Amino acid sequence: MKPETQGIHGGYKGDSDSGATAVPIYQTVSYAYKTAQELADVFDGKSPGYIYTRIANPTTTALEARLTELEDGIGCIATSSGMAAIASVVMGLVRSGGEIISAAGIFGGTVSLFENTLGRFGVKTSLVDAADTKQFAKAVNDRTKLIFVETIGNPRMDVPDIPAIAEIAHQANIPLIVDNTVTTPFLIKPVEFGADIVIHSTSKFINGHGTAIGGAIIDTGNYNWANGLFEDIKELAQKVGQLAFLAHLRNLIYRDLGGCAAPMNSFLMLQGLETLSGRMAKHCENAEKLAQCLLAHPKVCWVNYPGLPDSNFRSRVVKLFNGRAGGLLTFGIGDKQKAFRFIDSLKLAKNLANLGDAKTLVIHPSSTIFHEFSIAEQNKMGIGEDMVRVSVGLEDFEDIRDDFEQAIEKAFEVEK
Amino acid sequence: MNIVVNGEQVNCSDGLTVSELLVEQRVKMPDMVSVELNGQILRRNKFEATTVKEGDKVEFLYFMGGGSGAK
Repeated sequence: MKPETQGIHGGYKGDSDSGATAVPIYQTVSYAYKTAQELADVFDGKSPGYIYTRIANPTTTALEARLTELEDGIGCIATSSGMAAIASVVMGLVRSGGEIISAAGIFGGTVSLFENTLGRFGVKTSLVDAADTKQFAKAVNDRTKLIFVETIGNPRMDVPDIPAIAEIAHQANIPLIVDNTVTTPFLIKPVEFGADIVIHSTSKFINGHGTAIGGAIIDTGNYNWANGLFEDIKELAQKVGQLAFLAHLRNLIYRDLGGCAAPMNSFLMLQGLETLSGRMAKHCENAEKLAQCLLAHPKVCWVNYPGLPDSNFRSRVVKLFNGRAGGLLTFGIGDKQKAFRFIDSLKLAKNLANLGDAKTLVIHPSSTIFHEFSIAEQNKMGIGEDMVRVSVGLEDFEDIRDDFEQAIEKAFEVEK
Repeated sequence: MNIVVNGEQVNCSDGLTVSELLVEQRVKMPDMVSVELNGQILRRNKFEATTVKEGDKVEFLYFMGGGSGAK
């Protein structure tokens, strides 16, 4: 099946009892068994079955199966949020004294998890410039346990050379974790470029409507856990082969941390996946048009959209994303005050902390998502005080353009 | 023909696809099972097109929160 079809039919063949075509919402905590032995066998792994929704749930299983197909992986675990997905993966791989190499210009929450939360447990993170592949190679040492990148750094908008970074990771026998939230499997399947684990915040484009929080972890099958760096997973690989990492998460880390997906949210993500292919095409089309408009606008100082013809990342967009650069862009009109006045003057676009919604969204990253970092730290991560981030929605393009043009004019009015 | 299923010698019909093997072997919860064929996880969309051959090693695995996998 092609991805467009997998997004609609993957992971669910219809309910054999009722004929329901939408995946039923199994809004239950637990699952009853007739005999004590049956439940004991499920706990022992001698028999398949659901135990408790913190560990697995039938609605969530359908979402996991659909995401596995879309990412061409070997299995998936859906989580309560994108952050829960990243936390589960990283805590499943890194112990105290271990190190992470991460692209620098990524989501501030992820950087905070790595540096602040995991830092408290003795994990060290090296933040490197995603655009400069050599920095990843230089940062590797014998304590490094993983490399983490976003397909397009949010909000720096840099595009890492995923195949080259995968090569660096695999020479060191460590997995490459790729966060595919902003591009989705409809722009790139990271498995094809060497990624070992794919992460999603499904709250974004997959959900598509700003109605549910969720995340996902997909093992692509590229990393050989039986011959990897991780002794406990290596041991598990003797029993379950390639599924060792997912079993390690499902039966230990994910189970114990409790970041499970809510059944209702899994249903909403399944609904979102059904229309994702068409929505992504429109997000990309509107974002490219808006980037071009802003670039031509005399009051706009700079625009960062990797799909622009003169972007440093244009060739990677062609190679990795088949020429489509996603729905996010950033731009500046001079300084923080003007950025604030621009945001305050928008009539259609919403000022909020999210992306990937059907609605056009804006945010001032420096004072919001990155507020816990100093200006110097923000600069290192590629965040300027004048930066406005835009998640371009699915509205009619002329309506988006008109809204931006009137808000830019208003941002300069005070100075007249 | 003879194949190895979850470590045990099993006799099954000749020329079965993996989808057919799941039915013949009465694998529980076939929509949930992961199939490892000769050490590699077989993508679900390949179940119908992949034929099992004499001597193949097949593992039926679940990772639903129980133990380490069983038929």
